[in-house]
Amino acid sequence: MSANRWFATGNFYTTYRQEQRIFTTHLDRVLFGLFLFFLFVWPLFVSASNKHMLVINNILIAVVAVYGLNLVTGFAGLISIGHAAFVGIGAYTLAGTARAIGDSHVLITHAWPLMILISGFMGAAFGAFVGLPAMRLKHLYLAIATLSFQMIFSWTINFMTFFNQGQMIAVGRVFWISGQVGRNEHYLFWYYVILVTAVVCGLGVRNLLRTRYGRCLVAVRDNDRAADAMGMHPGLTKVYAFALAGFFAGIAGALHTYMFRGAGFESFTLHHSIIYLAMAIVGGLGTLPGSLFGPVAIQILELQMEHISEWAGTFLPATMNLATALRPLGFGLVIVLFLMFEPRGIANWWRICRSYFKLWPFRY
Amino acid sequence: MNFIYFLTEAQSAIPDAMNTLTISDVTLTFGGLNALTGVDMQIQPGLITSVIGPNGAGKTSLLNCISGFYHPTQGEIRYGSERLTRASPHQITKKGIARAFQNLELFRGLTVLDNLMLARHRHLTYGFFSALVYWGRAARLEAENRAFVEDVIDFMELEAYRKRAVGSLSYGIQKRVEVARALTLGPELLLLDEPMAGMNIEEKEDMVRFILDIQKEREITVALVEHDLGVVMDISDQVYVLDFGELIGAGSPREVAANRKVIDAYIGED
Ligand SMILES: Nc1ncnc2c1ncn2[C@@H]1O[C@H](COP(=O)(O)OP(=O)(O)OP(=O)(O)O)[C@@H](O)[C@H]1O
Ligand SMILES: [Mg+2]
Repeated sequence: MSANRWFATGNFYTTYRQEQRIFTTHLDRVLFGLFLFFLFVWPLFVSASNKHMLVINNILIAVVAVYGLNLVTGFAGLISIGHAAFVGIGAYTLAGTARAIGDSHVLITHAWPLMILISGFMGAAFGAFVGLPAMRLKHLYLAIATLSFQMIFSWTINFMTFFNQGQMIAVGRVFWISGQVGRNEHYLFWYYVILVTAVVCGLGVRNLLRTRYGRCLVAVRDNDRAADAMGMHPGLTKVYAFALAGFFAGIAGALHTYMFRGAGFESFTLHHSIIYLAMAIVGGLGTLPGSLFGPVAIQILELQMEHISEWAGTFLPATMNLATALRPLGFGLVIVLFLMFEPRGIANWWRICRSYFKLWPFRY
Repeated sequence: MNFIYFLTEAQSAIPDAMNTLTISDVTLTFGGLNALTGVDMQIQPGLITSVIGPNGAGKTSLLNCISGFYHPTQGEIRYGSERLTRASPHQITKKGIARAFQNLELFRGLTVLDNLMLARHRHLTYGFFSALVYWGRAARLEAENRAFVEDVIDFMELEAYRKRAVGSLSYGIQKRVEVARALTLGPELLLLDEPMAGMNIEEKEDMVRFILDIQKEREITVALVEHDLGVVMDISDQVYVLDFGELIGAGSPREVAANRKVIDAYIGED
């Protein structure tokens, strides 16, 4: 190993093991460590209002969901317009269990990590099933198959009495070592649970991506004839991609239900599927950091649009409903602008910044 | 008794050196058109077997039949004692037959290194959960296979392009990556579809050298489809000639060059 592992410049490897590292310099490692440390300790110094905690938790849940969408759409190149339905599968696995065995059953209140995991596997199972047409269908046809799953999901939830016809199904408060998590600590408690989940899932995805289980996704995206010749079953690989996406969506869904203390159909509609897609696109399809940037950017955008339309409502004639139309309009505009001018998303800005610092102190 | 049983079992598990690929009476039809008609061919282990013929003669179709992208309408393809006739490409790859495509079929967005690592797919035999934590077996096998890939990069003289995106490389280099990737699959039998097409003299000479080394040093059987008759006659042990999907000549380069039908087909073309 070279003497200086703090900067990329003049840093060279002597074994392939060294090159496998995620962080190639100490500086990268330390900065990432500091970032994580900050995420864990800031609530100790700043006490955010419930409203803000809700936004932050929502962003983190979306991060977990977008990991999944990014794997299937970004890495494996299979457009999914039904991601919110997979999140819904996770949410309703938990809510359905609550309805079947009571919302304060120990399974729900004490074994909540298990319930979250089960919801993930349920999402994966549905993902694999919905992904089956990928064995034969491509591009638009496949996207339509995912869209129809979204429709079937919404319809089923809305009509089945077991699911309370889409009305809120409540789940009880969970227990931690220190006893029941009360009203005051609720959002903070779930902030930490969701943060840990997001970090663990992120590391898992990062690891998968540098092994055969991640490379095969990119292979079927770039060229599935060649992927076949490399000895992988292209159809099954795509089904696997959908299962992965479903898994992360399912986890996110269960977290959502626990945090909102219940599930209702209105959080898992086509509209949300499009938002997830927007997050993946704006963040950067086919990049891991993109799964972080996207949800943050879209959430901030949504809040801003809300402010702007409120403000515009003060002087625009109310009868024309212009103010409310501003929100989806601005939202669509941002997506279109990104697709036109920065299809590689915010992650690309991040990449450019990094590659500048990589050569430091040399300009080129 | 048991001991001897295990001994013989272990021995029979090792494939008897290398297999012969036998194509018998293969016909391939698209609609009304016969791309191949009753083709018989043998690819002997350890040799360089070439297939030549004018444009549209059915050479690529033949390779597609062997590598499982097409299935013959009639006839049979065997590798050793195994039937390949109905197998899919990934199954055939697992039997040790690799293919380099005529029209580049690379993962264009990925680096040369990633393209080659993808070819190690079936050798990376760690489990999903090992991959998830990237510990133990996963990390070890990744490093081992990376070493194999580096060996191929070294062999095919691709060091300078290791981290470059394949799509950004020149055509000649991409062709070389295509061959390198097939080689990285670790095959017994390598099918090369016009590996020298579109190359300049210099690049062609390099490629000929690589092919000869693949056969001699790496002891891999080579089946070569090529238009450059000079090269084919120089390096082949066995030559088959296709014309309009039919076999019109077979034998050593010398025999084929003297074959009346072959001369007619080639003169008729030009
Ligand atoms: N998928 C297909 N559908 C219909 N016809 C096909 C298909 N593939 C090949 N053919 C036809 O089969 C015949 C043989 O084509 P093939 O590509 O095997 O020729 P080739 O010998 O490889 O030619 P070249 O030297 O130009 O590469 C051609 O007439 C071609 O049009
Ligand atoms: Mg051809």
